[in-house]
Amino acid sequence: MKKSVLLASLTSAAALLCLAAPSFADDAADGLARAKANIAKYQSKPQFTAPGEPFDAKSCAKGKKMLSIPNNSGNPFLKGIIDRMKTAGAEVGLEVREWENQGQPSQWVQGVEMATREKYNIIDLISGIDPGTIEPQLKAAKEAGVKVMTSHFYDPSFKQNPVVSSSLTIGFGEIGTILADWSAVATEGKANIALVISKEVPPTIPLVENFKKQLAANCPTCKIVQEINVGVTEWGTKIQPAVQSAVQAHPEINVVIPIYDSMSQFVIPALRLAGKTGQVKVATFNGTPFVLDYIQQGLADMDIGESLDWIAYATVDGHLRDACGLKTPTALNVPFYIFDKSNAAEAGTPAKFDTGYGDAYKAGFRKLWGIQ
Amino acid sequence: MNDTAKTGPSASSRRHLLRLFERYALLLVWVIIIALFSAAMPSSFFSWGNFSIMFASYAPAALLALAIIVPLTAGDYDLSVGATLTLSASTIGVLNVWHQMPILLVLLIVILMGVVVGLVHALFIIYFRVPSLVVTLGSTSVMSGLVQWMTNSSTIGGIDNSLIMAAVGYRLFGIPYAFYYAILAALIMWYIFDYMPLGRRLLFVGRGREVARLNGISVDKVRLGALIMSAVLSSAAGILYAGVLGSADPYSGLNFLLPAFAAAFLGATTIQPGRFNPWGAIVAVYFLATGITGLSMLGIPLWVTNVFNGGALILAVTISQITRGREASDIG
Repeated sequence: MKKSVLLASLTSAAALLCLAAPSFADDAADGLARAKANIAKYQSKPQFTAPGEPFDAKSCAKGKKMLSIPNNSGNPFLKGIIDRMKTAGAEVGLEVREWENQGQPSQWVQGVEMATREKYNIIDLISGIDPGTIEPQLKAAKEAGVKVMTSHFYDPSFKQNPVVSSSLTIGFGEIGTILADWSAVATEGKANIALVISKEVPPTIPLVENFKKQLAANCPTCKIVQEINVGVTEWGTKIQPAVQSAVQAHPEINVVIPIYDSMSQFVIPALRLAGKTGQVKVATFNGTPFVLDYIQQGLADMDIGESLDWIAYATVDGHLRDACGLKTPTALNVPFYIFDKSNAAEAGTPAKFDTGYGDAYKAGFRKLWGIQ
Repeated sequence: MNDTAKTGPSASSRRHLLRLFERYALLLVWVIIIALFSAAMPSSFFSWGNFSIMFASYAPAALLALAIIVPLTAGDYDLSVGATLTLSASTIGVLNVWHQMPILLVLLIVILMGVVVGLVHALFIIYFRVPSLVVTLGSTSVMSGLVQWMTNSSTIGGIDNSLIMAAVGYRLFGIPYAFYYAILAALIMWYIFDYMPLGRRLLFVGRGREVARLNGISVDKVRLGALIMSAVLSSAAGILYAGVLGSADPYSGLNFLLPAFAAAFLGATTIQPGRFNPWGAIVAVYFLATGITGLSMLGIPLWVTNVFNGGALILAVTISQITRGREASDIG
């Protein structure tokens, strides 16, 4: 009797396993298919989607001026956006001025005070200045009638500081999902990942959270082998030895993801020294030209970029809408675009900011603004 | 009297043993931490591949530590070595990548630039008698600004492959050439410091300028030479850095300053305790590198490496002071 019960149990267990095994395989295949479908969205040339209703931008912008304060004027990415905002603003008559600074909060304070004193209409905190850092000055500006806006800083999941009138958010979480799906697809579901991050930079949190969620959802067989957290000021001295050590200690690592692409200048030499160039894939985010060059040279594999010019037009559009009391978009709506070896050359040789994304947005915004 | 006669030699031999211990203590600790990490990670840490990579990737830092000890021996500080390294690497990027100049010519320009940096320092430090700390702190800021201007604050990739190959491409015993350049520099420096009158003069100037002057040493010339040598070695470290990275980055080189100083002072507690010495500096750089590599491999958060660097420095210098019976330090 006992024997037959045992036999029956074993048989049913075996049957369950047989049923479950294809189901696991199906799950994995489904996950990979979902990952492929997701990254395909970012592999075609970005299309323009209107962020709102058309409006008369020229009469809205008339007599208005905006002070744009970057996190640090030394950052070519931010400098590039503001230079282009000046051009985009000039098309409709909005005066855009940059508050040049070297990343010191005391300099940001001076900028805000100057904008308040000289009765600017808009203070634009661009990419990196947390309004909480200079809240008293921003409050004073708000009380004096200056609208404080942010662009390219908050993730949609972040709570906006009450002093801020509107924010054009950027989907750092979305970046996380693209990086996760790309890793899964590039390794056919066998990604062993070293993740290089900087926790002190606020966007890192939603980016990494979504990366992990997406990886768990679409590639349960993929895993993060090591997470390397390096402060921004120490990238130059710590990323290279840490990545070298990681790939030596864990030879199974086949993908390294420096989440911001300027980190990759220290990842690439680490892989070169460890003799892993070409064996370990490198995927990252920002679309910085020298990293696009790396892809052309076969040293890196993928970089998610966004067009600076598009960001500039979208920022002018969003901020003008707010300044004129129109419905304001909550996001920048600038599409991300994947550069890999198939299209990195489109960014130019050597690569340039803004090249390779197409220019569908220019005509789109001009039409919306009623100037075409 | 008899007692003294008995205790004399034993006290002296004890002192001799202590000095011997002091001389090789850092090497001993280095061996111990290698043994500990190897026991923890026998396959990954204790491999020639791991050590060869470590030797090469810390070569620019080693060269920078060597650069620092030249003016330190002569009694001057050079806080601008990190900025000179960055200026040198960035100039290579700008001239070689953006202006397509041949790499050998660029390297020559960069070395000459090091000479100019040293001369400018000397002008203010020796001629105008401004403290070296102030001059080199100021020039750090000037050079950082110039670097941001000329690179447009961007990283420049695509440096001539021959430089990359010369730094990390070609290998001897599995170790990239970058390491041997640092060793060669240490060898030359050791010979000059220990076997040439110039080395003695450098030391005398550092220990007491007036005494040196009264002894007929041309103090200003020696200090001038030390400042030029430091800037040239820093430029060479920049060349090596550009070769190891394959790109030029306008910011990161500045972060090498503190680890290089830590290595210079740590190095002064070993091999020839009480004196800045090239082999001590090399040992110190790779001692710190071993700690950082081992901790990273164990997956320990990287803030621990800062604690390790600072802790090792303070501890080593303290032990050195204790073994010397807390006599006044010759350094700093």
